[in-house]
Amino acid sequence: MKKQNVLVVGAGLAGMKAALLLANAGVTVYLLEKESLIGGQTIKFEEVYPNMECATCMVSPIQQDVLQNKNIELFLLSELESVEGETGRFKVKISKKARYVSLVNCIGCDACYEPCPVNLDNEFEENLSKKKAISVPCAGALPNVPNIDPENCLRLNGKKKECKACQEACVFDAIDFTEKDETLDLEVGAILVATGFDLFDIETLPQFGYGKFPNVYSAMEFERLYAQNGPTEGELILRKDGDLKSIGIIHCVGRKEQGYCSGVCCMYSAKFAHFLKHKIHEAKIYEFYTDLCIPGKSHQSFYEETRQKGVDFIHNETIRVESQKDRLQITYRDGNGSDSVVPMDMVILSPAMIPGKGTEQLAKTLGINLDKHGFFNTQNERLSPVSTEREGIFVIGCAEGPKDIPDSVLQAEAAVGKILASFR
Amino acid sequence: MNGQIGVYICECGPNIKDRIDIDKVIEDISSLGDVKTVKRFPLLCSNDGKKFLEEEIKKEDLSHLVVAACSPREHEKTFMDVCEQADFNPYLFQLINIREHCAWMISDKNEATAKAIKYIRAGIRRVALHRPLEKKEIESIPDVLVIGGGVSGLEASLSLAGKDRRVYLVEKTGSLGGMAKKLSQLLPNQGSNLSLIDEKVEQVHNNENILVSTSSTVGDVRGFLGNFEIVIHTDGETSGFRKAQVGAIVVATGFDVFDPEENSQYGYGIDNVFTAQEFEEQIKSGNVLLKSGKPPESVAIIHCVGRKERGYCSKVCCCYSIKFAHYLKDNLSNVNVSELYVDLCLPHKSDQEYFEEAKKKGVHFVRSEEEINVNQKGDQIEVEYHSEGKTDSIVVDMVVLAPAMIPSGDTPELAHLLNIPLDKSGFFKEIHEVLDPISTPIEGIYIAGCATGPKNIPESIVQSQAASGKILSSLIPGEKIVPEVKVSEIREEFCTGCQTCLSVCFYGAIRFDSFKGISVVNEAICRGCGSCVGSCPSGAIRSKHFTYPQLYREILEALR
Repeated sequence: MKKQNVLVVGAGLAGMKAALLLANAGVTVYLLEKESLIGGQTIKFEEVYPNMECATCMVSPIQQDVLQNKNIELFLLSELESVEGETGRFKVKISKKARYVSLVNCIGCDACYEPCPVNLDNEFEENLSKKKAISVPCAGALPNVPNIDPENCLRLNGKKKECKACQEACVFDAIDFTEKDETLDLEVGAILVATGFDLFDIETLPQFGYGKFPNVYSAMEFERLYAQNGPTEGELILRKDGDLKSIGIIHCVGRKEQGYCSGVCCMYSAKFAHFLKHKIHEAKIYEFYTDLCIPGKSHQSFYEETRQKGVDFIHNETIRVESQKDRLQITYRDGNGSDSVVPMDMVILSPAMIPGKGTEQLAKTLGINLDKHGFFNTQNERLSPVSTEREGIFVIGCAEGPKDIPDSVLQAEAAVGKILASFR
Repeated sequence: MNGQIGVYICECGPNIKDRIDIDKVIEDISSLGDVKTVKRFPLLCSNDGKKFLEEEIKKEDLSHLVVAACSPREHEKTFMDVCEQADFNPYLFQLINIREHCAWMISDKNEATAKAIKYIRAGIRRVALHRPLEKKEIESIPDVLVIGGGVSGLEASLSLAGKDRRVYLVEKTGSLGGMAKKLSQLLPNQGSNLSLIDEKVEQVHNNENILVSTSSTVGDVRGFLGNFEIVIHTDGETSGFRKAQVGAIVVATGFDVFDPEENSQYGYGIDNVFTAQEFEEQIKSGNVLLKSGKPPESVAIIHCVGRKERGYCSKVCCCYSIKFAHYLKDNLSNVNVSELYVDLCLPHKSDQEYFEEAKKKGVHFVRSEEEINVNQKGDQIEVEYHSEGKTDSIVVDMVVLAPAMIPSGDTPELAHLLNIPLDKSGFFKEIHEVLDPISTPIEGIYIAGCATGPKNIPESIVQSQAASGKILSSLIPGEKIVPEVKVSEIREEFCTGCQTCLSVCFYGAIRFDSFKGISVVNEAICRGCGSCVGSCPSGAIRSKHFTYPQLYREILEALR
């Protein structure tokens, strides 16, 4: 088999790493991403464990490499419509939504945001900030080019057809309201699925008080809250203002419901404690866990360091969050069956990783199976962990199941190994 | 010098134009010596801008090029590409960031303008000392050396070997298969059946592009990515050595297990206390029996043996301990099984279900602290443990210890031979734990499987396939490799031979020429980090694109 084009679905860290490695071998890569930017979930993190490195500093050179690589053709706001054929000759159809802003002309000066009259919740920021109908999701987004949300843009949704505030503000002639959604046909030899994960909906578990008590946060909300490029520029500004003397981090939220351990929550919860201890020295931090899952060779020392900083790790069998006289409190039952109560000012919930939205539909489109948890099924049982039952289609990263960044990167490189080996 | 420096200022739409007085900048810069021309352009990164720049380079017959625009992160590569398009050495170009550093930072236009002038002047002084740097191309050998014939080594060999790529597989024992061959069976999510491993061994033996050397070790390794020279020593009947050239090396030397005798509290040595490995053998033989020849009526499986001594969790022990419990419950009637664990580590999506099934079969899971004492009690064994502040004990017929995975014995020696580092636990150290978990500081040498730390079989296979991905992507038969251009060089006349640079070089790019008594940089390995430059007490080392005069003139001008 000769060198062929490869389709990578999902431009998170795994997808980007795979695309770059393939491109380096001279393969033409079509990189598909449903969002308007690349980088996936990793770019939302301020720091990553165990070395507390800045995630943006780690990922943005990779994003730049992807944007500048001549062998990578990027399709943003795009999704896979259909797949026909077989390995070596897949015919795929892609639907690409209009961006309404030219990736070539726009220089990312952000002059167009201010004049836009529409204010919206910013989902990328876990709704902790507002955005305009023309915007980038966060500072430092790559490509640094906004897109227009056609459902909320007054001109595009027909509520105020004459509005062209953004176009008037743009001196680079980058805004084009006439751009249309497109469908594209591509031919590829192999398909790599790197569509990532979502998080368990913690509102379905009322015992944790999320949505009811303002200062109960999800882990991802907390990631954005403490990110320098986040909505508060790294300041711990809570939904309900007050002293921060006591903070509880609850692990395993949704583990029982999902039926598996996500493998990463213990470590990122310890990362939060590191950060909080650094930010507010005198605060008391509690980690409530059912089992500590810290399987990396350097993870235990990270955990021990966290404990040495005075963070309390408490094993619990059951746990709930309530409010007592305007203050939060956590009630937990330990291994002996006795209950304890600890007052809290803030609670952070670490939810299970679950299959990404649209996984089921994508599996149908690709003609591959899901496992019982709804992740893509791979041929692990034949000791081929990134291959699916359909030859030429590979699944990598958290699309295959919960995992941390290095394991996602390794799967990306492994799938590239399989693909390049099949090309000779 | 009689320079012909061209300076081009990007307006970046209103971004620079409105906040910096570009006319004033041009007036100031034009007066400098060696500056041939200073021009402004609305948007240099646009297609029009790039074409303009390309034509200017040719038309003005420039010796050096300065572009004052945005951050190098944004467009340095764009303009370097323009240089190449214009047949102009891209290392004679310097990008000055007057947007992020001046226009966007300073609200006062006069101040922003003054700072931009300073930056551009500094850049001009620096670029005047730039010399053209040329890319080199080196022939490369696509063949690969794989060290270790366990699951990882087998997988790496199979995915790398092909009609245009030979693999030398070196295994220190007499046969292939490694530790996995010693198991009774695989986990259900790995397909249970061990014949998968045998199939891989057979495929390796049948592959004419894989040259297997068993009872062999690697005796010598020299060279760099694309060009390693190796020597393989073989003992035994076919004793001798083989020399070969390879382009890359995969280290897949696996692991050993913690010796529970190191700590008497685990009771190893008492009758009917076995290690997990011994227990695997018993299952394999189909006879799980006590010393008395009777089957056990009660078994305690102790997790985390050696965890506190080693300082890490080995990740796989919980699952294989559960596998033991399943076996006992399925094969011995009325056997009582207890698992004593510190924390259950079940990070794979199908692990928890496996655990819950064991619980349903009546296996007792007992949370205990790490302090555990195993003692003889008559014919039986007493296991004393602490849990939630209380001390408790159980008395059983048999104890199975699940010991930590530790680096394989020859790891330090091999690390020395390959010049790659170890981590604090004694495993091979990856160049970046998060982003590049199988690469080492030596380009072309990769580590796969348990040689970097404890992992299960599928994870080891992924690592080997990942190493193949890296090698297949970078060592393409018939294609040359292009090493870093901005490397260090050592000026022989100044080098005193103190060898400080050897100790700071992370990539092993410097060697000592004992005949001449000086250090020598291998430009094929150097990545231009500059550590040696800073460390050299006699100033003999120069970083080709960051020379002291270049930096000195730049800083001098900026501080003027």
